[in-house]
Amino acid sequence: MSNPYQPIPAIILKTMDETPNIRTFVLKPEQEIPFLAGQFVELTVPGFGEAPFTPSSSHFRRETFEMTIMKVGRATGALFSLQPGDVVGARGPFGTPYPLQRFEGKDIYIVGGGVGLAPLRALFLALTHEPDKYGRIFLRYGARTPQDIVYRSLIPEWQKIPKVDLDLSVDVSDEKWMKRVGVVTCLMDDIPCDEKKSIAVVCGPPIMMKFVNQRLVDAGFQAENIYLSMETNMSCGVGQCRHCRLGPYLTCKDGPVLTWAQIKDIENPFV
Amino acid sequence: MHQWLSKLLARYTVYVPTERDGQTHWHLLDPRDLEETPDRVAPAQRRIRASEPVKSFMFQPRQRVAGFPEPLPLPESAPRLLLGVKNCDLAALRVHDKILGEGEFKDPFYVSLRESTKLVVADCPAPEQSCFCNLLGLTPFAKEGGDAALSVIDGDWIFEVGQTGQELVDTAPELFTRLAGETTETKKRDEERSAAVAALNMTNARPWNPDLPGAIAAKLADDSFWRKHAKTCVECYGCLMGCPTCYCFLLYDQAKEKGLDRTRVWDACYEAAYARVGGGANPRAEFIRRFANRFDCKWNQFKRDHGVYSCTGCGRCFKACMGKIDIRTVLGEL
Repeated sequence: MSNPYQPIPAIILKTMDETPNIRTFVLKPEQEIPFLAGQFVELTVPGFGEAPFTPSSSHFRRETFEMTIMKVGRATGALFSLQPGDVVGARGPFGTPYPLQRFEGKDIYIVGGGVGLAPLRALFLALTHEPDKYGRIFLRYGARTPQDIVYRSLIPEWQKIPKVDLDLSVDVSDEKWMKRVGVVTCLMDDIPCDEKKSIAVVCGPPIMMKFVNQRLVDAGFQAENIYLSMETNMSCGVGQCRHCRLGPYLTCKDGPVLTWAQIKDIENPFV
Repeated sequence: MHQWLSKLLARYTVYVPTERDGQTHWHLLDPRDLEETPDRVAPAQRRIRASEPVKSFMFQPRQRVAGFPEPLPLPESAPRLLLGVKNCDLAALRVHDKILGEGEFKDPFYVSLRESTKLVVADCPAPEQSCFCNLLGLTPFAKEGGDAALSVIDGDWIFEVGQTGQELVDTAPELFTRLAGETTETKKRDEERSAAVAALNMTNARPWNPDLPGAIAAKLADDSFWRKHAKTCVECYGCLMGCPTCYCFLLYDQAKEKGLDRTRVWDACYEAAYARVGGGANPRAEFIRRFANRFDCKWNQFKRDHGVYSCTGCGRCFKACMGKIDIRTVLGEL
């Protein structure tokens, strides 16, 4: 019997600052963690605690993986003080991956906000790795300011990928910003795919998820085709400790990605 | 009896219920007890469940579960015997089995302690006013599960032993007499069992709503209902800590030189930060939502997910409650 609470060592190979408070960590675990896009890993900062994060790199390359993390609390605060060469703990993968088979042959409409682009990047890379399997890929991303955009150096490359249609907005612009200004829903006035058949995938802060989801429902997306990353307190990661319960679901086991069809009857799911 | 206990002590760490200050408590049996306080052991077998839930023996309040960077070795547990478990606590272990002992991810610490522990389930001939196992479809004696059933009748100990309990008898077979068919003792045992069931049915005469899960789901957002019942709650979490089925836990990391010790500690869903996420958002920031959540979890979601209530009617929550909140009243109004 294995011990689900025991982390394995993972060495920090590299860190990349995305924004003033968001950093990407490249990690090499002692043994490969066989994650699929949408699953998460519990990351331990020795002595400071543990928190769940979804890998943001492709699941087709797993000897190392990346996590893009915002500094918000005790564990992430301590994580930001670590350097390449330092060792953290990792256990996983946990949760249910995106059901990519269901996505085959369909257009995928992805909406991200802030650091919420991190788990969506793993999905985006999985989709673009096998482009023949899927329809067109639309990526709509909003950040607070141009300085808060994550993966700034990668986005121009993504725009060149065939079948990818990418657009950005910021809430507050600067003099160099040439794209849309406004919350991410301002990019959703015109949805260039068949809403009734396409898949929508959303990740971002709860208030953004609430309004994006409403916009998708109004546009005609089917509730079972809207995939939402739900943020709850996932502690054990293995469906035992019960901290992450969201209505009838344990987010760590049934999620963290749940469809709108699954959660629409839960009172106020976006907190 | 004491000769048998002496034999058992050679093989197992033995715990028995004993009476202290009018309450029943689990007691680690010491060979000296058999000499010094021999009268303590048998009468307590006829009392209701001990104050401490049996889960404490398997799902320990504090359990070191991981180390880092050196991993914690998988546990090995020595043989133990709990002599005098009540049926409500046995049923509660089935809740823990489902969560910690089955499925893709098992808790190796729980499984090790559970598998190394023999359980003798004693009849509960004198249920108290706080007991309500009948409302959960349970009986005050074992119908199934456990390694042996025990009835203490007029000083005689009557055992029903299954396959897994035979080794208890085999420690001293010369001390046991096989009862064939109905005897005066088994007749009296059956009468006592029926009387205990009748007493419970009198104390808790009105059954709950047969669709309790549905009734809770319908009331979940009705703050006025929960406020009415929560008004004397002082948020001490006594009901949750004493509960034999509650299994929420927290993984708590403590720094040590260049690493950590990870401890699994009992947690309580009434705790304000219980569901709070790293960024500070909290889906149950108000206590009234956490109070309602407890009922939703134990008598709605768990029943839907696992087919049983996460409650066995042991009454510890009511006994522990300073505000005298009786869940029978709350659930009875649904």
